[in-house]
Amino acid sequence: MILASEECDLTENAVCAPTEVTELFEFREPIFEILGFPITRTVVLIFLAAVIVVGLVFFGLRRQAVVPGKFQVAMESLMGFVRDEVAIGIIGPEGIKYYPYLLSLFLFILVGNFFEVTPFINFPITSRMAIPMFLALVTYVIFISAGLKRQGYRYVTEIIWPPGVPLLLKPLVGIIEFFSIFFIRPFSLAVRLFANLVAGHVMLTVLLVTGVVALSSFSTIGGKALFGIAWWGIGLAIFMFEVIVIILQAYIFTLLSAVYIETSLHPQH
Amino acid sequence: MEAISGSLALIGYGLAAIGPGIGIGIIAGSAVDAMARQPEAAGMVRTTMFLGIAFTEALALIGFVLFFLA
Repeated sequence: MILASEECDLTENAVCAPTEVTELFEFREPIFEILGFPITRTVVLIFLAAVIVVGLVFFGLRRQAVVPGKFQVAMESLMGFVRDEVAIGIIGPEGIKYYPYLLSLFLFILVGNFFEVTPFINFPITSRMAIPMFLALVTYVIFISAGLKRQGYRYVTEIIWPPGVPLLLKPLVGIIEFFSIFFIRPFSLAVRLFANLVAGHVMLTVLLVTGVVALSSFSTIGGKALFGIAWWGIGLAIFMFEVIVIILQAYIFTLLSAVYIETSLHPQH
Repeated sequence: MEAISGSLALIGYGLAAIGPGIGIGIIAGSAVDAMARQPEAAGMVRTTMFLGIAFTEALALIGFVLFFLA
């Protein structure tokens, strides 16, 4: 918990500000150990998310009914969206090769993000930098190996010098493009997901916890405790907003992975 | 100095958010313009709009992360 409720002094402040945000970047105490590997809450949630993704796909496609049920329709439209709009729509006909990866990426991030607004969990696993960083690294390896496989070592020169760069500008453009493709791309891909989820998580925690603390300390601060209702109201409005952010960020991560793979496969664009 | 550093990071994040804010506004405005002119191209415009927003937003988010690290 970022906010310890006893540290919050509502007689002076309107909002309980987090005292120690570096906690977000540290390892937490493990719950239990398996064969010497400490298992924290985050690890449990990662496996839970993986199980949920496999379960969704398995039960969604188990019986391919001619007249599909509601659940099958939902899963099929979700998977069809990733296949038609992202894999084939961005990469082209050969994008069907990358469809399994993009689908598992999309579903895992979606489920992991949805833990943010799940009651009693309230913790998006993608707000730990390790998880978006690892997913971004997998995308990085895939789009670079796709480019190397398609074009051989010409890939590196093709991608850092787009066609039509004047000879005089080649060193400058080369340096800028090299850094932007091989360093900034995976970093910004990971940071985008991470920062959006951290921002949402911190915002929800501050607003909702302030509401609870204000209402429960009615005896000490008197009528000011009614502000807690307003904080709760804003928090619930942000809750709805976060659902949009959650879906959008999963979509954007998948979309950008597809775009990076596409630029590796067809460099002339 | 210790007392100042926190508020400086906040100001830094505020500055980092100005450019992407303007940029996202321009992107969304142009996308609405394009969709209104050619409703049949709305799907393509929407995808490209999200891409542009994602690239522009990255700058503000790097500022957001530096706010925590500072």
